[in-house]
Order: sequence, then structure tokens, then C-alpha cells
Amino acid sequence: MTSMDPRRLATAIRLRAVQMVAPQGFGYLGQALSAAEQVAAVFTVLRFGVDRLVCSPGHYVIAPFAAAGELGLIDDDVLATYGRNGAVVEAIGTERSPVLDYTCGSLGQGLSAAAGFALSDRMRGRDGRVFALVSDGELQEGQVWEAAMFAGHHRLDRLTVLLDANNSQVDGPVDSITTIEPIADKWRAFGWHAVDLDGHDVAAVAEALDQAGRDTTRPSVLVCRTSTVHGLRCLPPDADGHFIKLPPELAEAAVAELTEELESLR
Amino acid sequence: MTTPETLVVRRPPYPTVLKPYGRALLRLAERRTDILCLSGDLTRQCEIDLFRDRLPERFVHAGMAEAHMMGLAGALARSGHQPFVHTFGVFATRRPYDQIANAIAYPRLPVRIIGFMPGVSTPGGPSHQAIDDVALMRALPGMTVVDVADAVEADQVAEAIAEVPGPVYVRLKRGEIPVIFPGDHRLRLDRAYVLAEGADVALLTSGMMLAPVLAAAEVLGEYGVAASVVHVPVVKPLDERTVRAVTAECRAVVTVENHSVVGGLGSAVAETLAEAGIGRPLRRVGIRDVFAEGSLDAAYLFDKYGLSTRSVVDAVWALLGRPGPPPAATAAPAAPGEYSPV
Repeated sequence: MTSMDPRRLATAIRLRAVQMVAPQGFGYLGQALSAAEQVAAVFTVLRFGVDRLVCSPGHYVIAPFAAAGELGLIDDDVLATYGRNGAVVEAIGTERSPVLDYTCGSLGQGLSAAAGFALSDRMRGRDGRVFALVSDGELQEGQVWEAAMFAGHHRLDRLTVLLDANNSQVDGPVDSITTIEPIADKWRAFGWHAVDLDGHDVAAVAEALDQAGRDTTRPSVLVCRTSTVHGLRCLPPDADGHFIKLPPELAEAAVAELTEELESLR
Repeated sequence: MTTPETLVVRRPPYPTVLKPYGRALLRLAERRTDILCLSGDLTRQCEIDLFRDRLPERFVHAGMAEAHMMGLAGALARSGHQPFVHTFGVFATRRPYDQIANAIAYPRLPVRIIGFMPGVSTPGGPSHQAIDDVALMRALPGMTVVDVADAVEADQVAEAIAEVPGPVYVRLKRGEIPVIFPGDHRLRLDRAYVLAEGADVALLTSGMMLAPVLAAAEVLGEYGVAASVVHVPVVKPLDERTVRAVTAECRAVVTVENHSVVGGLGSAVAETLAEAGIGRPLRRVGIRDVFAEGSLDAAYLFDKYGLSTRSVVDAVWALLGRPGPPPAATAAPAAPGEYSPV
């Protein structure tokens, strides 16, 4: 848990993500740009050692790493090795990834782990919440729905999914490949409390997280409508959000823009 | 040469017992509260109806959702529980392979995956036959792979694997299980068992093929072929020391497994011999790279796909270049409730 203003934290996540990706000139920056508010809101309420944090899509670890760096949970010199040879903080999450209780680069697996944590807590009479970051592209994986059905049946009310609905996957917009709408109704049909909201409105995400925590009858999902290029005006309009190219001059412009933004939030 | 077991195995037809694993798991779980029992919708078939009825608070039904079940088991193990996961071997390995790799094997978690109905022991057709489960699990880093032979071992396997720090895969025959070993046999996971010594051929086997191998060794003995018999309950990590010691003293080597000849015991033994420079003629008796069709009962399939006592005798006879037709091997007649190999 942190007392940091979640709006500031979201901008700091974007800035740090740019700095982490810049040395390679490309990387999973779009994941941080779309999930920044969700990650900031979760880190604002997360009680380390009590609650658990699952980052189902391993490609998103850049965002929680950036948040953890900003909050002093990961040292700057460790964060600076992101994605490099020999790094503990690999670009796609591994078993060595710090801060997270579970992540996996093979997509669609995180919700089962989150359900396992919630079930274990219930068996042991522990009060922890389980937060799971899940991406909309992962909804194409059947295992997500196996886990959603299980969690709904067992009324794992301490489980909250932040579903990053950024309509982006490797081959293009999710909705150009499969129709996953209506997303919220699907989860409701599986017995979940589901809300559809602007995922870049950090106050709305925080409020929805709070509401989810107070629902003692069923698991919750926040369908966060987002964009992989949000909050970084200097990106070219045709940027590929799944794997953003960030040549040195663009990286420089991005750092300047986000540093200024961060200053304005003081 | 290594000393053979002083214990004397029984002779067919073997008496059988029902659900030795299920009863043993319950016994263990009554002592150890960290044990959880997970089911993938084949509860009675996997002998864990006993657990469900007695310890319902530690019984988790994952539904017919093997991928999810493995992810769930991984997280439960990460939280300090010891999950025993149950379904048929084919569903426990093929469908959730990626989940086992990422959520269980890579973090080296103490999840115990129990796969029932090995090889062609089922009339369920190719969809139900775990003919590649050993190969798949053997390929995963850090996975222990166990294939026990009889009810005495099935009764001990839950307790034995509970002490393994990492993940374990066990394949188990369903239903009535033959009693081959005497009651004082102790299953250990760090060794193979030399049950007979003979310098003509080394017969290495695992799981339910022990019975036909013992029968084949007896027939061969009557016709002047001295066979060593090695029971290998743990295919990985393989007891290479015993494999090397026995094979180095024999003229030829035959492996026998209720599994594809690709990637299982036969492959493991071949790799060991090759790396040790033990140049012996080798035959792998097993399912020869096919899917097994046309089944009402296991006996028919074992015969059709070359997993009978006769198949073992024929393989040895041909490998040693013995003149004339191989001796006939006939199964000992078994009454209801008894078991004899085909």
C-alpha cells in the first residue's frame, strides 16, 4: 500500500516504462501505457504479505515493475537491467520476477493461479485479496473461462480481475480477429460482479476496486477500456501498441513529455 | 554383479486388491493435513471417492478442466499445500502440458499428478490411452516419473512421493490391481530392483508389464535362456547405476513397457547404454509408434499391439539368434478376482 497519488503513480509508470524500453529501442511499452492506471490503483491498495498480485500476461510485467521501482520495492539498478542479458527482470515475466506472486508468458494461465491463491486463503481463513491483471486478448484462451467458471461457482469473493480491454493483440485489434463482446455480460453469466469503465480514469478504477472489495458474495471483474498509446502524445499515430518502436529521438521526446506531466501533478 | 532381491515375487495367477492407492492416499492425508486432493471429474475411477467422502474440506473438484486444474494446483502448492491431482493419464499430460510446464515444473512445485489407465490398459480407444505420458513428463525439467508394478507398490506410492521436493507424475492401473511383490517389499524412488539374474538377456520393465516379463523369463529359462529381470518403478530419474551394472553383464537387452517405444523406458535405457558405451543389441517392446484401435478389453489390445508374454519371448528369441521357432508362452488361467498377464 502506498500513500502516493495514483494519478502521479500512473504517469510515473509510463515514464519508467519508457526508460526501461529505451535502451533496446523497442518493447512492451504499450502494455504499460494501457495498464498504467489499473496498476497504479492496485498498488495503492495492495497490502504486501497479505494480498496477492497476479500478472497473467507476462508481457505486462513492465508495468508492475515500473510501479515497484517508483515505490522503492525494486532498486533502480535492478530495474535498469530490464530485458537485458542476465537480468532478473526479464521482458516477459518469469519465476524470478520480483513483486508478483504469479506471472506467465504463456497466456491465459494467470486466472487459475489467482483462483488457487483465493481458494488457499479461504481454506486457511486468511483475509487477503487477490488481484489479477488479465488482458482482453487472453479471453481467446479457453483456460480463462475454465478458471472464471470455477471462481464463480466457488464464489471466490476476494478475487478481483482487472481486465485490460485495450483491443490489442499481436496480429491487430482483438475485435478484428474474434468477437469477445459483450465482455462484462460474459463474466456476469459466469457468476461474477462485472463493471465496465474507462480504464484511464484512475479515480473510477480505484472506486471500482473498492466496491469489488466490499462484494462478499462473488468475484469481481473490472472491464477497463483502454488504449495502448494512451498518455503519450508524442507517439506516431500508426504505432503498433503490442510492441512499440522507440528510437532514441522519440524516447527523448517521450521522457521530456512525461517528466513535464509528472511535474505538473506535484 | 548386483545382488538380486532376496524377496521372492509371487507366481501367477496373482491375487488382486481393489483401490490400493485410494485407500493409501486417505491414510496418508489423515496424518498429513497439508495434503489436498484434486479431481478432474473421474473421482470414483481415480479411487478418490474415499478421500472425498472422508475429508471433503480438503477435496477440490476442479471440474472437467485439466488446464485450469494444473494452474490451480500450482498456486495451491505455492501457498504451502501439497496437491495430489487426479485424472486419467492421457488427460493429465497431453491437454495441460503447457500448464504443467509453466505452473508446476518450472517453479519445481510439489504437485503430485496421478494419471490412471496407462497405455492400452483401457478399452476407451486412442483418446483414452496414455501411450506417451511417460515421454511427455520425462521431457519436463525436474519432473520425477513413476510407474509402479503392483498393489504393494501402489499402496506405498503416495507416501513415497510425498517426500519428493519437486513435481511427480505417477501412472497407475485402475481397478483390481495384482499383488506381485511380497508384503515386505519396500518401494523406493532411488533405485531399480533386480529380481532375477541371468547372463543371456537383461529384461528391463516398468509398471504393469512386470507380470508378463516375469512369465517370459520363466518360459525362456525352461528353454535355456538365462534372463536378468529388472523392475524400474522410477523412469526418471533413472537408476542408471543398476541399469549399467546389469546390462554390462548380459549379451542382449530388452526393454518392456506399456507405452510408446518413443521417449519412455526403452528410450531412457537406450540413452544410458549409449552414453556409457555399453554396446549390446537392444530391442524395445512397446507400442510401435501407432495409436491402438479396436478394443473391448485390455487383454485383446495387449496381444494385438505386442505387449504379451509371447511378444517378450519372441523379441528375446530373435535378438539372441536362437534357432527354430520361439517357445510358446501361454497365460496362466485366472479366476475372477485374479490377474494373469496376457
